[in-house]
Amino acid sequence: MKKVLLVLTLILILGVVSTNLFAKGQDEGEAGKSTVTFWLCDYEGIDHDFVKEIAAAFEAEYPEYEMDLVIVDWDSMHDKLTTSLAAGTPPDASVIGTRWLLELMDLDSVVQPGDYLSQSTFDNIAPGAMEAKIDGKLWGIPFAAGSRFMAMNTSLATKVPSTMEELREYAIEATKDGNYGLIMPGGKHTELSDFVYYFYAAGGDFFDANGKSTVNSAAGVKALEFMLKLANDDKVLQEGYVSHSRKQAQPIFFAGKAAYVMIGAWADTEYNKMNADWDIQYLQIPPFAGNKPAPLIVTDSIALYKDGENLEGVGKFLDFLYKDEWKAPLDKQMGFPPVTISAAKRPEFQTPMYAAMGEANLNAKGWPLVTGWAEASSIIIDANQKAFLGQMSAKEALDWAAVEVDKARAE
Amino acid sequence: MSDAVTVLRRKRFGGEATLAYILLAPAVLLMIIFMVYPIFYVFVVSLFNTDKLARIKDFDGFGIYLKLLSSKDTWVIIGRSVLWTVSAVTIKTFFGLIIALVLNVKYTGNKIARLLFIIPWASAIPISDMIWRWVLHSEFGLLNHTLKITGIMANPPVWLGNTITAFLSCLWVDIWLGIPFMALVFLAAMQAVPQTLYEAAEIDGATRIQKFKFVTLPGIAAILLIATLLSSLWTFNDFNTVYILTKGGPAGSTNILITYVYQNSFEWLKWQKASALAVFTFLILSVVSIVYSRIYFKREEM
Repeated sequence: MKKVLLVLTLILILGVVSTNLFAKGQDEGEAGKSTVTFWLCDYEGIDHDFVKEIAAAFEAEYPEYEMDLVIVDWDSMHDKLTTSLAAGTPPDASVIGTRWLLELMDLDSVVQPGDYLSQSTFDNIAPGAMEAKIDGKLWGIPFAAGSRFMAMNTSLATKVPSTMEELREYAIEATKDGNYGLIMPGGKHTELSDFVYYFYAAGGDFFDANGKSTVNSAAGVKALEFMLKLANDDKVLQEGYVSHSRKQAQPIFFAGKAAYVMIGAWADTEYNKMNADWDIQYLQIPPFAGNKPAPLIVTDSIALYKDGENLEGVGKFLDFLYKDEWKAPLDKQMGFPPVTISAAKRPEFQTPMYAAMGEANLNAKGWPLVTGWAEASSIIIDANQKAFLGQMSAKEALDWAAVEVDKARAE
Repeated sequence: MSDAVTVLRRKRFGGEATLAYILLAPAVLLMIIFMVYPIFYVFVVSLFNTDKLARIKDFDGFGIYLKLLSSKDTWVIIGRSVLWTVSAVTIKTFFGLIIALVLNVKYTGNKIARLLFIIPWASAIPISDMIWRWVLHSEFGLLNHTLKITGIMANPPVWLGNTITAFLSCLWVDIWLGIPFMALVFLAAMQAVPQTLYEAAEIDGATRIQKFKFVTLPGIAAILLIATLLSSLWTFNDFNTVYILTKGGPAGSTNILITYVYQNSFEWLKWQKASALAVFTFLILSVVSIVYSRIYFKREEM
């Protein structure tokens, strides 16, 4: 009898617990609020409190929605997103590197934002920023777009290089008294280390018209050999560059210990955070002698997901977010020039850094829009590191990378 | 039907046995849903070509296994994972034992010492790994700074920047995180060894080393086996330390099986290959577990 009572008691407890859980779910439903989920990348410089303020303001204006605004580290965003897509539980929308878009379209996981945002939001976006337009259809809302440039610590260097060869010369001059001539992240992170800057500056392209890897072209070898020279012969780079991701390397520049760094839109914000007693000057990334300048331009977009639970709600949120009141301060924190026409006219975006970015935009070149880029870039970083560690010559490393990239993309 | 068989059947299905089955049922069900089914599904995925969302497409059989087994990279990574696990577990066991012996002695402040030893294990592993990443930073890191200002090394190594030191650094952090668990478990086991055995050994004129060899070690042997088994499983699968410190770099030199599975699945969306690698991991760890449990149960029977 006692045993029967014990079993019945257990069943009762389980019943009460599950009923309570169910009731809780129903309460939330009864309150009439539906959750909008948006994943924002953790751009350097972004103020997390301001992001919370945006969510709170949206909830105040639209009391029918509860905003779940999650800040995700850039290095984790791709993996987190693919995991959630595989599980069938993606957010309603998220920031993505525009270079991921083909992969997401291949997965049939994104929808066209035009069906959910108001036309006035699109009308206020600069047409030139619409990189996510494929076959005339827009698949991602431009969120941030900015070319890369160089920053110079004027207390350690004053010369403006017009070629890579000059940069090398000036970096050698500036390497003294424990300071470095140049900062170069050589570790694995979201992007392809700094190789892309030198590769584009030598006139390189990652793929030919047939989609075959050309990372081992003459331009690639020239770029990597030049980087090796800077690292091993001239020793102008920070110690331990092979282990440094961008977030670990660039603080050395902002600590006032390096003359030059190739950087992006977050430079101003990071510089201001440091209250530095030295001046910063923004320059263009120079080409190799005889080549045309070709700085990298990076564009990020917002994608809306087919399996998102509240696409209508996220459309309203994005209309809200793209108002100057919210988007312009966010752009300012991230350092990117605004993609919206009205915000671009504001005085805070008429600074030397934005002028440098504007000039860089004229010659800029984006990441290749191909599938399998995540693995390809990982292989190219490995090749760079093999060369840096002396395991292979620049040519051998890039030949190996080209074969592996083609193999990986064919699988 | 004999009476004995009837009694046995009653024992299996009647009275207390029924209650036991009812009480076990939810746990068994949860295990089937959350452990058996995922393992089975991973195996199934490894036999099929998949799309990038791991949706099964056409049957491929054991093709991916043959491909992986004929690839040098796979063997290098398996070899590194085994080296990583064996080195880490050996060192953790050795120092865990020494620390447990020290903590087992009664002296003033030994409670504080015990508390201090548990701190690495009590903190969140990813946070500890992130702190270590900062400690090992070549420019701002506490370790190199200390080595420089104390004059121990004028040019300390770039710990995470070359293949050997990066591997050793990851190994050290894993050991640092794992030693407290080993020490605590050994300490608990040592305290359960009857004091009378030590007194008897003393009367027989045993030295300290003899007491350790003939009283302590046999007394804690069962726990030692279980602790090293658990540690082997955790160390083999220590994704956090490697991923946070080096992401498997430089040039793939710290990649172990678990980080390679992650890369292939969540970074490159190669689910079939990742599943096959996960099956390898499962098989290797199953073999280790079976060997351990055989030794353990043989001891129990003795």
